[in-house]
Amino acid sequence: MRAPVTAVPGRSLPEREVGPVTQTDIVRFAGAGGDFNPLHHDPEFARRAGFPGVLAMGQMQAGMLAAWLTDWCGVEHLREYEVRFVAPVFLGAVLRFSGEVTEVTDGVAALALRARDGETEVLRATARVVVA
Amino acid sequence: MVDILDEVAFDVERGKIREFARATRAGDPVHTDARAARAAGFPDVPATATHVVVAGHHRDQRAFVAKLGLAFDRIVVGSVKWTYFRPLCAGDSLHGVRRVAEDVRKRGMRFVTLETDYVDNAGECAVRVREVLIERGQR
Repeated sequence: MRAPVTAVPGRSLPEREVGPVTQTDIVRFAGAGGDFNPLHHDPEFARRAGFPGVLAMGQMQAGMLAAWLTDWCGVEHLREYEVRFVAPVFLGAVLRFSGEVTEVTDGVAALALRARDGETEVLRATARVVVA
Repeated sequence: MVDILDEVAFDVERGKIREFARATRAGDPVHTDARAARAAGFPDVPATATHVVVAGHHRDQRAFVAKLGLAFDRIVVGSVKWTYFRPLCAGDSLHGVRRVAEDVRKRGMRFVTLETDYVDNAGECAVRVREVLIERGQR
């Protein structure tokens, strides 16, 4: 296996920006993940449900945040990932992923992660990662 | 409560790993390049962290919601927690058994916690997923 990253409390992860989110991004994720709820691809249906337009499936941005994390630490070193869906993501959102190491105990780092669209927090996550 | 809610079986496939990696913007070449994966010590390309979401293709979402007696149009997913025991790789065959771990009502809402253990051919759990569904009250 690859060497784990080094981490000390307070270290920030290199940020990533994804977006603006397009209908193509959402359809691509639907194809990959199998979520064909019309809320995510039928604007009329989404409006009838009380939304301004289609929204991304939470698993799309959760998967993007996880992929950003494992691009940094290596997927084999991830032990735990927990994500809370704070706000919906609509077309045009520009997602900004950020995070920092909160604690390191016995070679495992605890991380606090988030995704924001402008000033709006859309995801809050924690992870546990094996580190050097 | 440990009722079995549903079961799902699926194979972890290179093509689906690539598709899912692209849809989530994973940049690590181990997910798409078998040589890079082997050089990094994997037997084949590893799946990305949330890959078992693809089991959505094999599940009847409306059926389990009905089985739980939840209103389909009032459910939101509050949180999802993944616990990893080993990385999934192309060639794995998984069997997921989803159970109700907790079902509580508070503040006029219902919180149902579902736990799925994805078990490999050797009978070992590779990844465990806990999801909390929230059913909002009727307005």
